[in-house]
Amino acid sequence: MSRTITYAEAICEAQRDALRSDPSVILFGENVAAPWRPATKGLKDEFGKERVRDAPITETAFIGAGVGAAIMGIKPIVELMLIDFGLVAMDQILNQMAKTTYMTGGNVNVPMVLRAIYGARGGGAATHSECLYGIYAHMPGMKVVVPSNPYDAKGLLTTAINDPNPVVFFEHIRLSNMEGEVPEESYSIPFGVANTLREGTDVTVVAVGRMVQEALKAADELKGKISVEVIDPRTLVPLDEEAILRSVQKTGRLVVVDEDYERCGFSAEVAAVVAEKGFHNLKAPVARVANPNVPLPFNKTLENHVLPDAEKIVRAIKNVVK
Amino acid sequence: MKLGDDKRLDLYRVMVRIRTFENGVRQLINDGKVGYVSFYTGGEAVAAAVSAHLVKEDQIGSTHRPLGHLIAKGADLKRMMAEIAGKATGTNKGKGGAYHIFDKEVGALGANGIVGGSVPMAAGYALANQLKDTDNVSISYFGEGASNQGGVQETLNLAACWKLPMVFVCENSSPEEQTMLGHKIDYPQLSITDISQRAPAYGMPGESHPGWDVEEVYKIAGEAIQRARRGEGPTLLEFKIHRLNADEDSPHCPIKCYRDKLMMDGVLSKELDDKIRSEEAAKVKEAMDFAVGSPEPELVDAYSDIFVEGA
Ligand SMILES: Cc1ncc(C[n+]2csc(CCOP(=O)(O)OP(=O)(O)O)c2C)c(N)n1
Repeated sequence: MSRTITYAEAICEAQRDALRSDPSVILFGENVAAPWRPATKGLKDEFGKERVRDAPITETAFIGAGVGAAIMGIKPIVELMLIDFGLVAMDQILNQMAKTTYMTGGNVNVPMVLRAIYGARGGGAATHSECLYGIYAHMPGMKVVVPSNPYDAKGLLTTAINDPNPVVFFEHIRLSNMEGEVPEESYSIPFGVANTLREGTDVTVVAVGRMVQEALKAADELKGKISVEVIDPRTLVPLDEEAILRSVQKTGRLVVVDEDYERCGFSAEVAAVVAEKGFHNLKAPVARVANPNVPLPFNKTLENHVLPDAEKIVRAIKNVVK
Repeated sequence: MKLGDDKRLDLYRVMVRIRTFENGVRQLINDGKVGYVSFYTGGEAVAAAVSAHLVKEDQIGSTHRPLGHLIAKGADLKRMMAEIAGKATGTNKGKGGAYHIFDKEVGALGANGIVGGSVPMAAGYALANQLKDTDNVSISYFGEGASNQGGVQETLNLAACWKLPMVFVCENSSPEEQTMLGHKIDYPQLSITDISQRAPAYGMPGESHPGWDVEEVYKIAGEAIQRARRGEGPTLLEFKIHRLNADEDSPHCPIKCYRDKLMMDGVLSKELDDKIRSEEAAKVKEAMDFAVGSPEPELVDAYSDIFVEGA
């Protein structure tokens, strides 16, 4: 049975299901037991403070403790209050969490989920607004999940918790209240399978996270003029290259939309994949609509100016479909 | 040590200035001209008393509740208010906001949106002072939550090893019951009662005191700052405070405590108090008008300042 709930509630449900069905699942982070946090609401009351625990403001220590517990067979869900704060704990994330499996020849694995709120909120400035999934996707050894709606959020988080590898799960702050149809029962969505939200024949638009909504708005706006295919890869690692290449084979044009910094990021990766493996299908240069490498400005007008939106996507589409 | 009347009134005036300024920010929030700000209210005695020992050439590193620290250090009220409102005339040209205000002119280096983020940097200010052979010092402000961060612990060690001329000032805002951002945490974030208990572990002196009696803070901070100026190394101070609202009703309100005391001592009269308050209110009003009347940054400004020109 499906009903309408929010993105944050969907995330909460996936965690509740996992905590109920698997006693080795635990959850911790700063203020995860605070009653007003929607993505963890009620979990402390149901499962107790042993399994759902507040951690001190020590990202290195508690993320590292997640890695250690995971090595010991616990399945920690560790919450970062904001992705920007993970930069304090880069060693534990990028060295220890990501690479222990490989460096131990696969003898040790790290079944851990690092959940993080991310994204521009309107006036958060550059320490409270970033995406940074490009950094995580760059480092081998972590799966990177960026859900764009409540249904995907619940199904992908269930997959993340069941995955025997470290998964970084990105929750956009501005999607938190987004509503959608979500089944009551537990279900999972496989990683590496893109979702085609609009079929089209003139141009392929690849977008993740909150940008999927903007891409859909752009497609709607161009309806009747330009036929836009919108693809949400849902996971950056693993990436469904196949789906993107198949679409570009049909449309011959590609626009990549990304809220993260443009340089060396997800948008560059998708462009590179298509340049390497689908070049012969391209009828126009690939276009990217991403943050133009500007640290998110505090001023909201400047912030909106550097963020991708439907209008900029429309412009980019019109440029490649001439 | 007996404080002169002028000094006492200065301390009082700075505390009033901080509270009045923050109340001005509250008003701009109500008016929809400013978004979210983390307030310093309740800590005024600490910022006022510590900065009373500092000169412009000394530096402070602050937190996500920076306004008191910055104001006491002499940061420009108008440009600060403009920054909080995201205007081009702000200290950071509207790019940083309240969490990231820097006013280099007066050594206010600066607010910080990352909990514990400014502490290692404050060691760098001290290192520069040491290398330049001055007797200037840096102050590193942080909260009890921040005190646990690896970077803070590492900096305590580094400062002691290098005998850096600095003072660590921890403002513990939940001295009775441990909370984080207003949430009563199930597990404590501190397993000790006094942050200064950590000082001997790093080989430096440390003390813990109430932080709402401005003269007490003045005395304790003065000793640590003089010690740093003499080249004898860092000190870890903890002041227990209570985060308060706009009004001055709480028995832990440093402004109320001091006003009562100064009146009892005959240093402050009702008339003088009114005069100080209206003068400070006028400065804050001027800052608010400046902020509201200032232009937004131009769109092209988004792309400048990622690097400075030159080389
Ligand atoms: C590295 C980092 N982690 C988490 C946060 C979110 N955060 C902002 S303020 C705060 C509480 C800080 O507590 P404390 O240092 O005691 O200062 P207080 O707010 O009590 O004055 C938290 C968790 C942050 N800004 N930076």
